Amino acid sequence: MHRFLYIDNDRNIYFHTGLAAETLAGDQLTTRADQGDSYEMERWVLLMVALPLASALLGHLLADTFGRQVARLSIALSLGAFVVSVALLIEMLGGGPAGVLALANGWGLLLLDPLSSLMAVVVSGISVIVHLFARRYMAEESGYARFFVLLDLMTAALLVMVSAGDLITLLVAWHLVGVLLYFLLGQDVQSPTAYRYAFWTLLTYRVGDLPLVLAAGLLFRAYGTWSLPEIFAAMGADTPAQILGLPLPEVVGGLIALSAFARSAQFLLHTWLPYTMGGPTPVSALMHAGIVNAGGFLINRFAPVFVHTGEVLHWVFLMGLVTAVIGSVLMLSQHDVKKALGYSTMGQMGFMIMECGVGAFSLAIYHLIAHGVFKGTLFLGAGGVIGEARRDDGVPKHDLYTFVVERRPVRQRRPWLLMAAVTLAVPAVILFLSHYLVEHGFIYRQGAVVLLFFGWITGAQLIFATYRMRTENLARLLTLILVSFTVVVLGYTLISHAFDLFLYPDPVLRAGINAAAGIEVAWFDTLVALVTVVIVLGWLFTYYAEQRRGRGRDWLAGLRRRSYRAISRELFVSDLYGWVSRRLLAGAERLNLWLRWS
Amino acid sequence: MSLVLLLLAGLFLPLFPASLVFNRVLARQGHPSRRALFLVLWPQLGVLLLTQARTSVPDWLAAWGLVTALFYAYRATALRDLGHWIGFLATSAWALLWLSDSSPAIRHVEALGLSAPLVLLTLIGGKLEALVGAVSTRMNLGLASVAPRYAAVLVVAVLASVATPLAPGFFSLVGTIAAQPPGAAAVAIALVWLLWTWSGARLIQGLVVGPGGGARVADLSLTAAWAYAAALTLLGLAGIALSEVLL
Repeated sequence: MHRFLYIDNDRNIYFHTGLAAETLAGDQLTTRADQGDSYEMERWVLLMVALPLASALLGHLLADTFGRQVARLSIALSLGAFVVSVALLIEMLGGGPAGVLALANGWGLLLLDPLSSLMAVVVSGISVIVHLFARRYMAEESGYARFFVLLDLMTAALLVMVSAGDLITLLVAWHLVGVLLYFLLGQDVQSPTAYRYAFWTLLTYRVGDLPLVLAAGLLFRAYGTWSLPEIFAAMGADTPAQILGLPLPEVVGGLIALSAFARSAQFLLHTWLPYTMGGPTPVSALMHAGIVNAGGFLINRFAPVFVHTGEVLHWVFLMGLVTAVIGSVLMLSQHDVKKALGYSTMGQMGFMIMECGVGAFSLAIYHLIAHGVFKGTLFLGAGGVIGEARRDDGVPKHDLYTFVVERRPVRQRRPWLLMAAVTLAVPAVILFLSHYLVEHGFIYRQGAVVLLFFGWITGAQLIFATYRMRTENLARLLTLILVSFTVVVLGYTLISHAFDLFLYPDPVLRAGINAAAGIEVAWFDTLVALVTVVIVLGWLFTYYAEQRRGRGRDWLAGLRRRSYRAISRELFVSDLYGWVSRRLLAGAERLNLWLRWS
Repeated sequence: MSLVLLLLAGLFLPLFPASLVFNRVLARQGHPSRRALFLVLWPQLGVLLLTQARTSVPDWLAAWGLVTALFYAYRATALRDLGHWIGFLATSAWALLWLSDSSPAIRHVEALGLSAPLVLLTLIGGKLEALVGAVSTRMNLGLASVAPRYAAVLVVAVLASVATPLAPGFFSLVGTIAAQPPGAAAVAIALVWLLWTWSGARLIQGLVVGPGGGARVADLSLTAAWAYAAALTLLGLAGIALSEVLL
């Protein structure tokens, strides 16, 4: 007999055994009447996970008999998983209750809630697209059937990961994703280079797995259960234990954040991402569109832990910010389109983590979905674009090309006061109004202000850039850009608000997340002022450098050269890791020699 | 008497430098089946002695076990020979049993769970050794290209040995980490696990990846491949079945 468990909007946890259900609210345990068939949807979660698993098994067993036809089976079953995930999402959108399917005692819980249903649609949807693309793309490759088996196993592992309702199931799936990715990236078994970079990925993922294991250990020790709903409920009810002088949620939150950093290629744990382009394109698409986003998912899954933290989200924000800046800078310095896409993903992951850091958890989910869709498209289209470009670059030598690609802006004089006012005021007004539309009190949320600040800077940069484009009619161009900007901002605001209400319907939890991400008002204002000054100085410096191009002083030219060298060597991070690992291996070899391999 | 038994257990759940003895004795076992038997029985004797000591493991011995596990996990990263790797991983894994707070019966199961994938690896390695003389990453075997069945069995056995889910070792390690008081010991066990993965992945790459051609290898027969696959599946199912006691 299956056991079910669900949490309602009042954060009560219900255990359902098929005969009777029990309610656990804080310390009180009461009995509820049987809830009947309303729990049937949880079984569909099992079906959703079982379909790609069955596909992998059948693909392996039937490969010798049916050869490349197994790809069709794989596509059909992955499509089935996608249909089931959509059905589950519709159920959740329709206000269906969250629930858990228990497959074993102690662990093996599969969760059906808004986050898992949404992420399952993303995972299975991207998986279907990658399956369809790979059917032809991989046709000439050896190990065709193996590729689809691995792809199906990866889909299953990701679906289990997003549906995991306990720490052990989550650890199993989290761990297996890294291992399966290693073999997918090393699809070409004759290429030591592909495996070398796959190895970097595996090792970084393992570095990220271990904090999650430690966090799981601490949570189990503290609460005596692996079940996530039970842990979250107990966390809210109890005074947190102290670990090494810090509250338990603070330590656990920090460890979970570390795990998320490794999975989402945050700075210093990012080197694997741009170097794994040697893998097949469908794997790159799956990785950049789905797997690398897991950090954002993990932080969202543990939102009830982060609510009880003090400083962790601030560090998360800082890490995201650093990664976003460095990822974007490194992207701009790349000549290889796929590597540039890799660093672009790093920058985007930085933004996603940064959003978590300011408490915009649901926005991070929206971001990871949007990023997954557009980055998947770019990867799957990259081969075609490169092929086309080899025949004919097809790039018209018009003004947009000289401006964007050759970086040769037009030097024209405009009424600067008017332009400055438009540049600074228009994005601010659009952003303010669009946010005011969905939530009047947004200005009191520090996270919203930080994100608005970024939006404002981006909008201002965008408008600033348009002045320097060659155009017959500046007003028309500006209007078009502003309309586009307004549509994007409005769309983003409305959709992210809808995500917030869907993923975090409980206003208390939403307020708790914002409070955990907030800092003292005085500090916040000071930081905003400081960042504004830095950005304005940056603009002035850029303007100054542009004006003096070719007439620059030696120190400026030297600084530019040194910066470029450091950036082109990717800030020497990979070099450092390579050096450290070589030293470690040499040390181990010496020890083995001394001890005669005993 | 207890201390003597504990120190004697240090030979069978090898603590450095007694671990040198274990690795030399293991290397001298000629036939793979003898090595496999050795891998099963040796830690069971250690657990038996530990039980007979009828005392809890002192902190200093647990710390010694942890240091030994780290030391051998680190040294395993530079190994190129499968036989040596199995010995080092066994040493590292069994040394962690000093940190387990399970009952004697469960400790026997934990030891068996850690040994089982290494036994399979020893058997498959023995068959390969009989074909090519030695199983070393220096030999450019490229097994995935020239003998895919060998490669598949070897890869899964190595993964199970480094405690990849759903091998019993995975649940043992998570359980051991969860049983530790917060602090350095749990972090050190996690580090041991990371080093296992590092060395395991290096071994896989050295034996499986590449164009091959270093030696002529006739692939594993279909029947043997199915037998190994069944054994590895059984290992995974055992991991799930035993998870409740191992965690």
